[in-house]
Amino acid sequence: MLMRTRKLKTLPYGFICICVLPAVIGVSIFTLYPLAQSLIMSFFNTTNLALGLGDFIGIDNYVRMFTADNHFRTALFNTLRLMAVVPVVTVFLSLVFAFALTQSKLKEKGFYRVVFFFPSILSLVVIAAVWSALLGPTSRDPFNRLIGFFGADSVMWLGDGRFALWAIAIVMIWQAVGYYMVLLMSSVDSINKEIYEAAELDGATGVTKLFRITMPLIKDQIGICYVLAISGTMAISFTLAFIMTSFGPGTSTLVLLGHIFNTGFRAAAFGYAMAIVVFSIVLALTLSVISRKLSYKPGE
Amino acid sequence: MNNDSLKLFFGRWALRILLLIYTMITLYPLIWNIMNSFRTNFEILMDRSALPTHFAWENYQRAWEAANMGAYLGNSVFVVLLSLSILLILVIPCAHALSRFKFFGHRAIEVVFIVCLFITSIYILIPLYVLLHNLNMLDNLWALSLIYAISGVPFSTFLLAGYMRTISNTYVEAARIDGANNLMIMLRIVVPLAKPGIITVCMLNAMGFWNELFLAMVILRNPALHTLPVGVANLFEVQQRMTDWGALYAALIVVLVPTVIIYIIGQKYLIGSFNMGGVKE
Repeated sequence: MLMRTRKLKTLPYGFICICVLPAVIGVSIFTLYPLAQSLIMSFFNTTNLALGLGDFIGIDNYVRMFTADNHFRTALFNTLRLMAVVPVVTVFLSLVFAFALTQSKLKEKGFYRVVFFFPSILSLVVIAAVWSALLGPTSRDPFNRLIGFFGADSVMWLGDGRFALWAIAIVMIWQAVGYYMVLLMSSVDSINKEIYEAAELDGATGVTKLFRITMPLIKDQIGICYVLAISGTMAISFTLAFIMTSFGPGTSTLVLLGHIFNTGFRAAAFGYAMAIVVFSIVLALTLSVISRKLSYKPGE
Repeated sequence: MNNDSLKLFFGRWALRILLLIYTMITLYPLIWNIMNSFRTNFEILMDRSALPTHFAWENYQRAWEAANMGAYLGNSVFVVLLSLSILLILVIPCAHALSRFKFFGHRAIEVVFIVCLFITSIYILIPLYVLLHNLNMLDNLWALSLIYAISGVPFSTFLLAGYMRTISNTYVEAARIDGANNLMIMLRIVVPLAKPGIITVCMLNAMGFWNELFLAMVILRNPALHTLPVGVANLFEVQQRMTDWGALYAALIVVLVPTVIIYIIGQKYLIGSFNMGGVKE
């Protein structure tokens, strides 16, 4: 207690306030306040922003979401399908690359690291525009030409409801693998080399080492990457689908954030859109907490 | 060569070939884009992926003038530089205070900033639009820069505070004995020592601001104020019907080049910053 009072006195509170207040006030006004507004608006039937919030309707917006909105169900289903596939594939591929690069004694491994990270610095607008062309519908377009080389028939990747969502998933994985690879490399690098050497003496192959040594030892960092990849999936699928397919054909690439955009900015159902916002935030937070709980066991 | 080194040799080359294939997968879209930015629309129409026969600089000229990329480039440069300046003014003192003092409210600020990390701009876009409308800040590059800077504050504060914690206390104590006050310690001691961390913050945010689409699209309704991503997104939409592909691909290169240059110059800072802490101390 004595220590604490002494400490409180010696801290230069004037200086600390000048340091932190501008950032805190800025974040409060332009992030927290709008966030609180979103939450409040989700209980109102706001349709005209100039006229204020409109009528308080309790949880009607949330009820409507689950009972009277087919597009919401489609959007949720599409988002969950992407979340089930994209983060797992992305983090697994990035782990394999991180493992291969740190384990290998290749002279040019720095080169691969720089190249693989490269897509994550690109503008999503550029990525979407270029991949739209690569995934073009005719047999002369690059991606169809590639699969044609292996004997497959051409596919209208972005124009066919059965494939469009997965075409976007391919782009998402391509965009993110290098980012998570770099994130994981420092962790893989920090594992004691003697553990691997001991395993090698026991005759362990590369695959055994990856699954039995690397993955258990850095499962915390893998968990962090997985959480990041889940929230990344939400945001990136929206931007890509917005540009590449306009959430079509039909509603086959409509994702949650896309539905928010459509109901908010196109249909002007602001209150209802905010209810979907609140739902999306809760969903992302819940999934993050669950996957953290699964990957992190204290005391181990 | 004995059996073991032979196996090692083949293993190494098998790995190398796999990595080279993925290198091609990573770079192909970029190479494809560069090539097509130098081909005429007719050539692109006839064959989507061939080498340019000559350098069709006209594409860049059309992108620059007809598609207005020159003006958008100017707006983007202005916004990125202004946002970075505001960001640094907000983040450096905040990160300094959080890393040096365990003050009342310390934990609260951290928790609030962690929550902010989960907030994508689309979640707050509508209330933010109303707020900016009421404050008369729509259609204003200064306002957009301020919003960008604030959106970068939570992440940047964590990154920079983490870096500042690694700076040894002895420098600070020595300066204090020499009679330096808190402000001087921050500006003369901590900031120079934290330069690599500050550079990383600048690069990550500069790329984020340069590439940002939705805030700019909603806040800037006046076409003369559009930034590059908004301009290119509109161009892409229009080109789906008009098929001036050459100009579109040239415009994409205009967006790409600055990020690629920053990346190549600063990849050491960028990639080196991703240290999540390993197993070994």
